[in-house]
Amino acid sequence: MPLATAHDLQTDSLLSLSQAKVGCDFRIRFLNGPACEQLRQLGFCESLQVRKLADGRNLICTVCGTRLALSRELANQVMVTVA
Amino acid sequence: MPADIETIALAGNPNAGKTTLFNALTGANQQVGNYAGVTVERKSGEFFTPHGRKLRVVDLPGCYSLDGGSPDQQIARQVLLGEVEGELKPDLVVCMVDSSNLERHLVFALEVIELGMPVVIALNMVDVAEQAGIRLDPAKLAEELGVPVVPLQANAAKGIVELKQALRHPFPAVPDSAWKQGPAEQLAERRRSRVYQICEVAARRPDGHTSTVSDRLDRWLLHPVWGWVAFIGMMLLVFWSIFSFAEIPMGWIESLQGLLAEKVTASMPDGDLRGLLVDGIIGGVGSVVVFLPQILLLFFFIGLLESSGYMARAAFLMDGLMGKAGLSGKAFLPLFSSYACAIPGVMATRTIDSAKERLVTIFVAPWMSCSARLPVYLVLVPLLLGGQIGGLLQAAIFLGIYALGTVTALVVARLLRGKLGPDQVKQHFMLELPPYRAPQWSYVFRHIAGRGWSFLQKAGTLILAINILLWAAQTYPKSGSEDPAEQLAHSAMGRVGAVVEPLVSPLGLDGRTGTAILTSFAAREVFVSSMTQLFHVAEGETDEETWIALRKQLAAETWPDGRPMFTVPAVMALLVFFIYALQCLPTTAVVARESGSWKWAAGQFVFMSAFAWLAAFAVYQISSIFL
Repeated sequence: MPLATAHDLQTDSLLSLSQAKVGCDFRIRFLNGPACEQLRQLGFCESLQVRKLADGRNLICTVCGTRLALSRELANQVMVTVA
Repeated sequence: MPADIETIALAGNPNAGKTTLFNALTGANQQVGNYAGVTVERKSGEFFTPHGRKLRVVDLPGCYSLDGGSPDQQIARQVLLGEVEGELKPDLVVCMVDSSNLERHLVFALEVIELGMPVVIALNMVDVAEQAGIRLDPAKLAEELGVPVVPLQANAAKGIVELKQALRHPFPAVPDSAWKQGPAEQLAERRRSRVYQICEVAARRPDGHTSTVSDRLDRWLLHPVWGWVAFIGMMLLVFWSIFSFAEIPMGWIESLQGLLAEKVTASMPDGDLRGLLVDGIIGGVGSVVVFLPQILLLFFFIGLLESSGYMARAAFLMDGLMGKAGLSGKAFLPLFSSYACAIPGVMATRTIDSAKERLVTIFVAPWMSCSARLPVYLVLVPLLLGGQIGGLLQAAIFLGIYALGTVTALVVARLLRGKLGPDQVKQHFMLELPPYRAPQWSYVFRHIAGRGWSFLQKAGTLILAINILLWAAQTYPKSGSEDPAEQLAHSAMGRVGAVVEPLVSPLGLDGRTGTAILTSFAAREVFVSSMTQLFHVAEGETDEETWIALRKQLAAETWPDGRPMFTVPAVMALLVFFIYALQCLPTTAVVARESGSWKWAAGQFVFMSAFAWLAAFAVYQISSIFL
């Protein structure tokens, strides 16, 4: 069996923004879902740092100093790793 | 438009401050706000450079990308490419970027640079960026982008002169866009990486996340418990101030109106013309103008909440509750405004993304008890309590009245939303929470003045016309009798009253009340003055006295067989009717305009009137069994 590569390890540690812990900084790895373009336009772009501020029906996070509220469905489409 | 005036286009992401800059450049007074998407049309104006050269400036709607598909983004693209008929291709583009948000806004700036025309970057909100600890380097930025960069603070009019200097001849050379080379499908990716390179050198963010004042405020104001406490407290404060502070100027308007009527009465012989002037015009228009202070106060508070940035938080908090009614948090602001007046409420629905949600919100907005219903409630509620005024019970009944309208509106919204079906493109809740900023007072006050003026214009045209018509219907044909009640019975309006009597008698009301209801279909507050006339109540010095006299008269009123007329069930039915009926022509006109369909407005009117009648009927018949 081939050994796990660094890339595999990184993919394993991915989580969606809605699963992420409140108050922590994350880095956006990729966007995956139908609302990708909408999210990119709002500033959710790959390799940006994002901090999750609050959880709930809608969650709040900051990207590049902008606070955004977005629904869980949208947050499910943002894949992040711990920064 | 003379061709020798060169055109400058203002482009940029939403909420970058384009309209603020537009106003600062041209001295115009276009609406601005601390939330995305205030500008939905393009607007143009003119200004002079320091060298005396006249330039035309076009303010474009904000957009995130030039490739976007929504109508306002297409407008921006078409104007920039000169594809709009009757509009010349702009000679220069001023690209507005929010310097606290360069990572996002520069992507759009690169897209504009790619179009291959002279570009000047306006680096707005440098103060906000400084507060956030971003180290900006405009010179570096200009070097990296190859275009002039002017730092400015449009809301404080700082840097405007420098920007005008940058717009002098010759216009800056067209920059080259090296990142454009390569496969087209990776262009967006290359743009983004170029932006990060630029930001690395020209706008360094402090490492890690620093907690700003807005963060700390939001920790409380968006808290699941304290957020609601603050929200409810703020709403109570707003309503309390609207109703208590407005009374003073309302008194002034009333006494002015009384003075005017007296002057006219004294200086003119008795006749139809005097009747028209005093009853029709001064009394009729005055009864509407008297609400001007309340409307101005409401706009003041809404302006305050909008420009401070709290409105987005309120929408965020309300999203859960609105979701249960099939709406989103964005429907909160329109519905909230409708408590004062449904007209600005209906207009505020423009910020809602989903077309179907917007229609539903427009449909139910008039059920939020507006301020025009208040005089009616103030007359009727004490009748339920045997003439007592004030006290906890009255407050509870008032609360119940407001709650009844609101709850029904939300239930109907839910049903209607289900009927209209899901959106074609699924809309997700997504809202930018702008940083809290001190309100721009000059803007707030200019905005209020504009609103007040348009309200007065409406009172001077539409409402004036309706009042003249109403007056004529009450005056002609003449009966020759001195008794105003007999004259009214003989007049066109009175005859209509006889016709409507069978319609209101199932609600426990007689033809006179029916006529008063009929007159109130033009504007609800007319009901009180009609009742005063129809039931022979002498007008008091103030409204308060008139209302007390009217209440006494109504309480003593009996049917021909001696039964009291205004029993608890009858008054309850009347109240319920006023809660639900859409008795406001201007609202119907605005609904028709905003929904783009007369059918929708007419359907709303018919549905609400029928609903009001049925509800009043049910209340009267059922409560008559028990009371």
